[in-house]
Amino acid sequence: MATVKNELLIRVYVVLFVIVLAAIAVFAKAVKIQVFEGDKWRAKGDSLYVKYKPVFAERGNIMAEDGSMLATSLPFFEIRMDFKSDAMDDKLFEENLDSLAYCLATYVSNSHTVGGYRELLMERKAAGDRYFLIKKNVTYPELQKIKKFPIFNLGRYKGGFIVIRQSKRNRPFRMLAQRTIGYVRDDGNPVGLEGYFNKTLGGEAGKQLMQRVSHNTWIPVNDLTEIEPKNGDDLVTTIDINLQDIVHEALLRGLKHHDANHGTAILMDVKTGAIKAISNIGRTDLGWWETYNYAIGSATEPGSTFKAAAMLALLEDGHVNLDDSIRIYNGKMQFYEEEMVDASSESFKLDTTSVRRAFEISSNVAMGSLVQKHYGKNKKGAEFIKRLKSFNLHLPTGIEIEGEAPPIIKEAYSKEDDWSGTTLPWMSIGYELTVTPLQLLTFYNAVANNGKMMKPYLVSEIQQFGEPVEKIKPTVIKRQIAKPASVQKLQELLEGVVEVGTARGLATNKYRFAGKTGTAQINYRKFKPRANIKYQASFAGYFPAENPVYSCIVLVNEPKEHGFYGGEVAGPIFREIADQCFATRIELHEPINTRGRNELATNQLPNMDVGKREDIQSVLSYLDIEHTPTSRGNWSVVKADADTISLQRRTIKEDVVPNVVGMGLRDALFILENLGLKVVVSGIGKVKLQSIKSGTRIKGQTIKLTLK
Amino acid sequence: MSIGTKIYAQLGGDRAIWMIVAILVIISLLTVYSATGTIAYKERAGNTEFYLIKHFMFVIAGMFLTYLCYMMHYMQYSRMAPYLLLISIPLLVYTIGFGAEINEAKRWITVPIIDLTFQTSDFAKLALIIYIARAISSKQDYIKDFNSAFLPLIVPILIICGLIAPADLSSALLLFFTCVVMMFIGRVDLKFIGLLLFLGVVVFAFLIVLGSFFPEAIRVDTWISRVRDFMENSDGGYQIQQAKIAIADGGIFGAGPGNSMQRNFLPAPYSDFIYAVICEEYGLFGGFVILCLYVLLFFRCASMVTRSPKAFGAILALGLGLSIVFQALANIAVSVHMVPVTGLTLPMVSMGGTSFIFSSIAFGIILSVSRYIEKTT
Repeated sequence: MATVKNELLIRVYVVLFVIVLAAIAVFAKAVKIQVFEGDKWRAKGDSLYVKYKPVFAERGNIMAEDGSMLATSLPFFEIRMDFKSDAMDDKLFEENLDSLAYCLATYVSNSHTVGGYRELLMERKAAGDRYFLIKKNVTYPELQKIKKFPIFNLGRYKGGFIVIRQSKRNRPFRMLAQRTIGYVRDDGNPVGLEGYFNKTLGGEAGKQLMQRVSHNTWIPVNDLTEIEPKNGDDLVTTIDINLQDIVHEALLRGLKHHDANHGTAILMDVKTGAIKAISNIGRTDLGWWETYNYAIGSATEPGSTFKAAAMLALLEDGHVNLDDSIRIYNGKMQFYEEEMVDASSESFKLDTTSVRRAFEISSNVAMGSLVQKHYGKNKKGAEFIKRLKSFNLHLPTGIEIEGEAPPIIKEAYSKEDDWSGTTLPWMSIGYELTVTPLQLLTFYNAVANNGKMMKPYLVSEIQQFGEPVEKIKPTVIKRQIAKPASVQKLQELLEGVVEVGTARGLATNKYRFAGKTGTAQINYRKFKPRANIKYQASFAGYFPAENPVYSCIVLVNEPKEHGFYGGEVAGPIFREIADQCFATRIELHEPINTRGRNELATNQLPNMDVGKREDIQSVLSYLDIEHTPTSRGNWSVVKADADTISLQRRTIKEDVVPNVVGMGLRDALFILENLGLKVVVSGIGKVKLQSIKSGTRIKGQTIKLTLK
Repeated sequence: MSIGTKIYAQLGGDRAIWMIVAILVIISLLTVYSATGTIAYKERAGNTEFYLIKHFMFVIAGMFLTYLCYMMHYMQYSRMAPYLLLISIPLLVYTIGFGAEINEAKRWITVPIIDLTFQTSDFAKLALIIYIARAISSKQDYIKDFNSAFLPLIVPILIICGLIAPADLSSALLLFFTCVVMMFIGRVDLKFIGLLLFLGVVVFAFLIVLGSFFPEAIRVDTWISRVRDFMENSDGGYQIQQAKIAIADGGIFGAGPGNSMQRNFLPAPYSDFIYAVICEEYGLFGGFVILCLYVLLFFRCASMVTRSPKAFGAILALGLGLSIVFQALANIAVSVHMVPVTGLTLPMVSMGGTSFIFSSIAFGIILSVSRYIEKTT
């Protein structure tokens, strides 16, 4: 029995011994890898270094009000081949090499022949290229085709097919509102809506495990992204692309005409504050271009357009009535050591006039002396400042664009702000303070809107896959910036400026508009007295005057040709914008006649016109013209008598030349050619004469039609 | 008295084996959590806890089964053995015919109702080992006889291994080898063992021939390519190179828990190549501890035989211990590039359903045996 036990134990020990040996061997191998081969493997590990790299999400679109694309991302692809892909089968590669070479030479590039590609692929395969460039800038449809090539159709692992997705920001309307749409670049500050809404548009980047195959080359480890990126949302802006085009063209024409330095124009919807168009054009070495958002980023001394604000302050505080008389001393007045001079030739002839007239001819002396008289004594300057602040003129508008320049309104009697004895009168005419065009327009818009101040805005909706995520409603900054009576008086003055004042040359009998001219001296301090003085011409206003729909400001910096006054430089641009808005927006027109329909004169009726019966009947019905219809035949002729209109049948028979007189060319050609005639045409209009009489047999003749 | 010491005092059986189980499970949870980071990113949108929780559920279930098996008297297993073996044969046949295919191998069947995939070879392995242990111990008096002892032993071995082999050659070889060593320890004549090895080769050759007719059922191509990879490429294929980089990167004490880099490249870093991840995160030291734990387990199993040589329990514990330690060594040997790539898991450490569950059961049975052997001696 002991032998049995011994035999068994011996065998157990043998197994135990073998297992321990095996364990030692395994561990020794691990030590060998770690210690003796360690450097080799660690180096290899470094070369295989991987990390998660961001996969950029598709950037959202920026759209105009009607959905047309202002900025969109176009995807394009780079295609590469990894010849050392893990699962690439050598046999398969060899078998499909010829067909791949053929596809590449035929569809991708003619830089190599089929044989050339074949050799190139074999050479790169032998070299173990992991990142061989097949093609750059591949479009999506091209990618779909290339994907199906032999070997490539096996995908990332087996086919070594690497697709790198890139995208390019594209602005289909190019320069239109370019600066406002903006951009985001790796270097430099983000600009415009792209910058302000960068997060919304940008979405969330995904992650993809990328492997380094050479110094600066990373290839995806897996075919798919590990974390899918979340695409950015789309922005729907308030920009109306047609109005934008109008504003841009008008501004550009004006800038060229006056050989100006730069200019800006903004068109705003009065009721909502929505910006319908915004243009900024500057002179560059490469021509006219949107390079800076002057409308938003540049606060300057506005000059006379600011008089509206000063006047509203005076009106609101009850200091003036429009028909008060005021001395303007023939347009010259001394304030302490400074002399204020008017620009209007009319001023020089007047010693005394009404407040209304003084405003209409933009008298500096009148505004300066009024403000000085009512706020210049007994430390009342603070009241004036307080009033301006109640118009919100001291605050930025909060427009959705980075870098809005804050306005500068001096604090009353503040030493830091350089307050002096002449500050008040000069502020009243738009100096010693700065505002941006948009800020000033916001004020004018409030005046047009009967005192209700709306916040200007550019984005009305944020969308995802065409569904709204967030709707942005118009925001009221201030329900009433001044008493309705004061606002109404200012409106009256602004209308007067256009009717009989500095902008009277711009008035039109088609509609009425209101506004104020401005001619600011840019460098009046530096170049005293008047030598080489530079100007900034502006016009701010709204239209139609009775029931304003749009407010608009135009600013032209340094006009050098054809005048420099606001009324002659910026005014015409404003007028052109307003004209075009009227021309394209039917809803702005007053009904032409609201009385009953006029009797139609017979000669205006479509007498003897010929056309398709149904078409004529539907046109006449649409125009609500009484007529006797007919139910016979395809073609009808209109017979208009003094008091009735009737339709008669025009017969077309086969094999016989028909009477096509009175038809449009389209109908006549259709009928005649279908009957087998050759047609030669001259003139324009409707068919007046036909060379072959109706009723003649058709034998393939050529018929001449004279149109008139 | 803390909870830990309370449990320790309560538990019977071999305390060293209990410790081994506890340490392996802790390492398992830590390493699986780290190693699943990449697939969590790929498949669970970065929800790294998903696999931890899933694995934790398996660990809880496994520990429960360990305890259950430990509480049962080991002689119960002896009574169950023939039935288990009878059940496993149709299961294996069904798997070959209709099993679920995962990673191009038909090794799983889906259990209805609970909808879990279940690797039938794990079940068959357990059944066969219990059966062989029972047969060896009951035939000890005439163990050197061919007809009455040897034949009844080899027939189930050849059938079961032959049925496992088509889809999972490495498991089949391992089981075959485990049984051979069990028979060797159980005093079967060396002549017969030589004969059995020869028979094994014959069955294997038969399978290869059969494989040329049924390439989908028998993965001969995979076997050849893996062996060729191993023989021809001294640096190893891509997977092996990644494992070596992991081991090299780990150094002596490792990069620390959760700091594995190679988990991103290793295929199945949470199961087949988990040893490489352990070496990367815990260094050679960690790798050494793991090896020692398995060897120690076998020491403890062997010591039961020395105490109670003829007993069914001792042979059973030894067989299960052998199976675990062989599988562990085979798994580790793959990572250090000593054998061709297999699909074997590291017992009690790798994440994974049935493998972990059956390892837990095996540990439970060993512990049950240890409890009664302690009582009787």
